[in-house]
Amino acid sequence: MSVQAQQGIATLRIPEGLGGLLPALILIGLFFVVPVLALLLRSVTDPAPGLQNYAALLGDGTYARVFFNTFLVAAVVTIVTVLVAFPVAWMLAIMPPALASILFGIIILSMWTNLLTRTYAWMVLLQRTGVINRALIGAGIIDQPLPLINNLTGVTIGMVYIMLPFMILPLVGTLRAIDPMTLRAAALCGASPLAAFRRILLPLSLPGIAAGGLMVFVMSLGYFVTPALLGGTSNMMLAEMIAQMIQSMLNWGLGSAAAFILLVVTMALYALQLRLVGSKRAVGGA
Amino acid sequence: MLLDYDRLGWLKVALLGFTALVAAFLLLPVVFIVLLSFGSSRWLAFPPPGWTLKWYQELFADPSWIEAALTSARIATMTAILAVAIALLASFALVRGQFRGREILRGLLLTPMVLPVVVFAIAIYAFFLQLGLGGTTIGFVIAHTVLALPFAIIPIATALEGFDKSIEDAAIVCGASPLQAKLRITLPSIRIGIFSAAIFSFLASWDEVVVAIFMASPTLQTLPVKIWSSLRSDLTPVIAAASSLLVALTLGLMIVTALLRRKLQT
Repeated sequence: MSVQAQQGIATLRIPEGLGGLLPALILIGLFFVVPVLALLLRSVTDPAPGLQNYAALLGDGTYARVFFNTFLVAAVVTIVTVLVAFPVAWMLAIMPPALASILFGIIILSMWTNLLTRTYAWMVLLQRTGVINRALIGAGIIDQPLPLINNLTGVTIGMVYIMLPFMILPLVGTLRAIDPMTLRAAALCGASPLAAFRRILLPLSLPGIAAGGLMVFVMSLGYFVTPALLGGTSNMMLAEMIAQMIQSMLNWGLGSAAAFILLVVTMALYALQLRLVGSKRAVGGA
Repeated sequence: MLLDYDRLGWLKVALLGFTALVAAFLLLPVVFIVLLSFGSSRWLAFPPPGWTLKWYQELFADPSWIEAALTSARIATMTAILAVAIALLASFALVRGQFRGREILRGLLLTPMVLPVVVFAIAIYAFFLQLGLGGTTIGFVIAHTVLALPFAIIPIATALEGFDKSIEDAAIVCGASPLQAKLRITLPSIRIGIFSAAIFSFLASWDEVVVAIFMASPTLQTLPVKIWSSLRSDLTPVIAAASSLLVALTLGLMIVTALLRRKLQT
């Protein structure tokens, strides 16, 4: 090996300055920022320059219903997810490690299982002649099958199922960081369990609940697959509408405008979440 | 007291009962789909009237399923390699670099994780239509790498933050070149982060549906697209068989991860 080549290897280094960011920035710049900006541009130029696409979206009752429905579903999903996740995270934070690792295993298995697989399972479970309806009829609880799919109930069940891990896992961290002494002190001072929960445990875990809840809400707003398969036509959500505008109606102008509205709302809520938890923790939790 | 497991009293029973219900809820679809795939009823009756392997036979007899799975595996592997390589370079800069706007750049690189996928999907679809990259493997890999990058950067950057740089400096003082020090000291130390990054970015591509639906062409479709289009036509048990294999794959990945973590940590 020549001296020059040796020197070349000796000075070869993994850059620690801006240089190392170049490949990532080129990828994100060229294949993320540029296409998204081009889409935004299209929303005000297609079919003709102007804001008519936005006017059409915001001025029409059908679209207004989709917007309302999107927020409604996201809100219902978030509330149910928080209510279900909190007791589980609470137990996970304090239960013996052996038991906790089993539960963590179940959560990771459900989270890592293919999204379509999980949704397919719910489609089969919830359909009119599905297992749940048959079991309920068999047990004599109901006479007629319940409408569990292609409506708000179906979307809520399917979405809560997907969102639960995203709420439980960060909440466990929040709850573990609370010093059990504070609650012992409350009990010693005569606080009832309810008072201790309401005045100590809940307020101390509120930052985690708010951050996780906001994340679930934001993720639900833009969700496509599960609402498309478990929801009905009467409660279509925004993401599905955007996909339809592009794929079936080939209305790029309207679709891009709707996409841009979704983008702005999502980013605004995301910025709010960053302020709540600080930039590092917000993204580190995933 | 509320955070003392052994002193919760009746509340513990109630909370544990609820937790057990949620665990059952989380397991239900996964277990159900596996049982269903062995059931003999074409109309997905449950409990099944009998047990059979015919849905698996149908699955393996259909070349379009096999081809879709191979396409997915190919794209996901390329995505994982590309995402980890780019994320590794980016993480050194993000964690150790001293330049203005570092936090903003970090935020920018993580944005694909928070932007609704459907927005990115139609944007990249339109973009690739113009470039002629729609429906191509390279197009899929690029789009999936954009989506996977945050999931690769987070574990690597976190591992790098936890690594004491003075060990690397010590190696250099002892005569190693900066590159040698990184390759032989730093990279092995953050291998758990790198390994997690590889798994997460592989899964990010392997499971990706929305971009894939737009990008897929009649000649190139990934496994999720194949499942998606089958789902839209009917709920055939063949999907249950394919799904069960995916569950088996997930379980395999989980076990490998757990074993490797244990091995790497000791």
